[in-house]
Amino acid sequence: MSRLSIPVERHRLDNGLRVVLSPDPTVPVVAVNLWYGVGSRNERAGKTGFAHLFEHMMFQGSTHVPKNKHFELVERAGGTLNATTWFDRTNYFETLPSHHLELALWLESDRMGWMLPAMDQEKLDNQRDVVKNEKRQRYDNQPYGDWDERLQSLVFPPDHPYHHTVIGAMADLEAATLDDVAAFFETYYRPNNAVLAIAGDFESGRALEAVDRYFGEIEAGAPVPRLPGNPDVAPLIGGTVRDDVVANVPLPRVIMAFRIPPYSSPDFATVEVARALLGQGKASRLYRRLVRERRVAKSVVAYAFPLLTGASMLLVWATGYPGASPRDLEKALAEEIEGLVEAAPEEVERAIALSEADLVSSLEHQSERADRLAMFELYFDDPDRINHDLERLEAVSIDQVRAFAAERLGPNNRAVVTYRPGEER
Amino acid sequence: MSPLDRSSPPASGAIRDFDFPDTERSRLENGIDLRVACVPRLPLVTLDLFMRGGEQALDAERAGLAVLAAEAIDGGTRRRSGADLSEELERLGARVSAYAGWEGTTVSLTCLADRLEEVFPFLAELVLEPDFPAGEVDRAREQRLASIRQRSMDPGALASDRALGRYFAPDVPYARPVGGTEASISSVDRRTLLGYADAAYRPGGRGGFVVAGDVEPKEVSELVLRHLGSWMGAPGGVSAFKAEPATRERRVTVVHRPGSVQSEIRVGHVGTDRATPDYFPLLVGNMLFGGTFTSRLNLNLRERHGFTYGVRSRFSYRSAAGPFEVSTAVANDVTAPAVREILAEMERLVDGGPTDEEVASTRDFAAGVFGLQIETVDQIATRLTHLVVFGLDDRYFNDYRDNVRGVTTAATAEAVARHMRPAEAQVVVVGDADEIARPLEALAIGPVEVVRGDGA
Repeated sequence: MSRLSIPVERHRLDNGLRVVLSPDPTVPVVAVNLWYGVGSRNERAGKTGFAHLFEHMMFQGSTHVPKNKHFELVERAGGTLNATTWFDRTNYFETLPSHHLELALWLESDRMGWMLPAMDQEKLDNQRDVVKNEKRQRYDNQPYGDWDERLQSLVFPPDHPYHHTVIGAMADLEAATLDDVAAFFETYYRPNNAVLAIAGDFESGRALEAVDRYFGEIEAGAPVPRLPGNPDVAPLIGGTVRDDVVANVPLPRVIMAFRIPPYSSPDFATVEVARALLGQGKASRLYRRLVRERRVAKSVVAYAFPLLTGASMLLVWATGYPGASPRDLEKALAEEIEGLVEAAPEEVERAIALSEADLVSSLEHQSERADRLAMFELYFDDPDRINHDLERLEAVSIDQVRAFAAERLGPNNRAVVTYRPGEER
Repeated sequence: MSPLDRSSPPASGAIRDFDFPDTERSRLENGIDLRVACVPRLPLVTLDLFMRGGEQALDAERAGLAVLAAEAIDGGTRRRSGADLSEELERLGARVSAYAGWEGTTVSLTCLADRLEEVFPFLAELVLEPDFPAGEVDRAREQRLASIRQRSMDPGALASDRALGRYFAPDVPYARPVGGTEASISSVDRRTLLGYADAAYRPGGRGGFVVAGDVEPKEVSELVLRHLGSWMGAPGGVSAFKAEPATRERRVTVVHRPGSVQSEIRVGHVGTDRATPDYFPLLVGNMLFGGTFTSRLNLNLRERHGFTYGVRSRFSYRSAAGPFEVSTAVANDVTAPAVREILAEMERLVDGGPTDEEVASTRDFAAGVFGLQIETVDQIATRLTHLVVFGLDDRYFNDYRDNVRGVTTAATAEAVARHMRPAEAQVVVVGDADEIARPLEALAIGPVEVVRGDGA
């Protein structure tokens, strides 16, 4: 089997900023990806959605970069950019023709070091409106748009950091102030709480020198405070918890989640393989049985959330045909998932083959390399995992998959949200 | 060490030459037009087999048939069941997909390069010997019907689909959604699909086979000859049509969706075709209007007014004129102001033209970002297929950046004035009519009609 070897160099600046470099001159493209160790899990009651609103504020300018200039400069350079907020982290990224690497470093360092002086109420009000419209567009005005809110509150107890969604509540967004922006920045947006990954066409020594020049003078902050709430959670949900919804949706849908070990657990590899057996490709169990043979599902999805805090969740969903009963669909879905206790070794071989091809394909993008390198450094202190990630999956035995299914995928560890088309009540 | 002077952005480094990969083109004995780009960056290969025809070759009664056939093609062959096919392909780590659009059907395959020889016969089998087993056809048809139903209840998809019928005259294929309607799909069975595939899945008639990745052209042409050598014929031609507009009068259509907390807005009209000599100036003109984050539309509607999470505009270039369309989603209470701003920005650009600065920075963006869009074998194959679909010059992508850089402000202004027509724009809004219809009427931009979302 072919093996990839992605270069990985680790450095740490005096202020604590961790730097991962992965030079590859094949294509004159460079990707910069900056991960901050803060996400929705750090939000306190009454402040949900703030980590994401703050991410928007990061594009509103800094001392030396006026509003809109960040986008203007990157686009003029022929680059692309964006940012995402998630449960455990927030990341900011640019992909550029490689001769513009320093532009990205200048922009990212300016907002890491000098963001606050550029903040004002008008910008906050503007981005609050933008985010409220994002919430409407992606959640409130979408069929099934509230599924994750319903599901997370079933899988994680009220005091757990994953009980609330990343997008947060409208009322909390309304209540956000400029003081919140300042406090959040000072607490979490410090070099010692961040990882900078650069992948693509550059020379390491010169890149590291430039990183130090732009980021080196930014002062370190205090260690970040411990998470609010209680991240400790029992390994199993302890029963089947459910939320049956009648809503203005086109088709019946059943969404099922299981509490699983966190991404940092060695057992997570078993989760990933089990996930692949259930839902990766058209030969997977759920597609073959529910979509193809029994024809009770129009489509199926299986996804293992790579979450760090106490526990994570394996998500499985099936969308049924018009007129079908969600209960019948749920029963069929549960049967196929429980059937994993009798999984065959050939299924694992198939999953590994697909995973290998998918991995190589994704690493064609320098942006994907930078993203993974930053994640592995921030989460595991191990960016070289990019070269060994497949080996973790290959080491999983069929017995581990069966044991995982028996232990975790039964009715004692199940959260269910069902949607039945009808008039909303 | 003295603090760094941060007051202005750093100078860029030395630019590196980077060309679109060279492509070896050959015509095989049975007429297959083969293009191979050797891209040995990673041990991967992507193949795209394009067969001309597609949805624009079908009359309204058969709308969606090409899309459904592509969705059902992996249901089984004369040699093996669909389940076995998926199993064997995935055990080789191969991804196969088929997709049909207005211009034709593309069957794609991606795998590790050292598996190509094992995987290739399956691709040939799919195209030469699809069997469309009845059970699998039933499944694909019910899935297609369910997807049509989902689109009808998704506000964004509903807005896009309804707008087509407002832009194009009823007999233009582009007036309907590409995936067909309940009426046109309901009666499709195995025989229909067998007949369709036999006629449409043919190598001639300006189809093409594109390969990009870690392969040698000779190795590829041998594989093609061995497994597709007996493949002959051409699909039936597409009768030429002109994409006439439904009307030249500006009208507003509100598709009533009770309880909507947001309005999905589409503003557009018939655009232009892929062969237009205005292609590059119009590319720049549309980008600065609504194609980038710093476009006029986005800076106005998002960054100035906070009306929306985002807004964009695009020309869909096809062999006949596709739509030009602005799309966004906004809160109910700013629906009319957002429509007003969109039309005002169209008028401002058409009447006043772009500035030199806008054109210069947009040229730089378009030329620079091109390098980011040919990073993967998949992206390269997709671009080569684009050459086949629209009959563009073999060197088109090698000359692409020069053509972008050659666009002038005057040419952009002319192209925009020719192809954007705010006075003829059709406005379609999916939202709660009780809240948005009256303010839209008060704009006095054209007659307002309220229709129900369920088609009545």
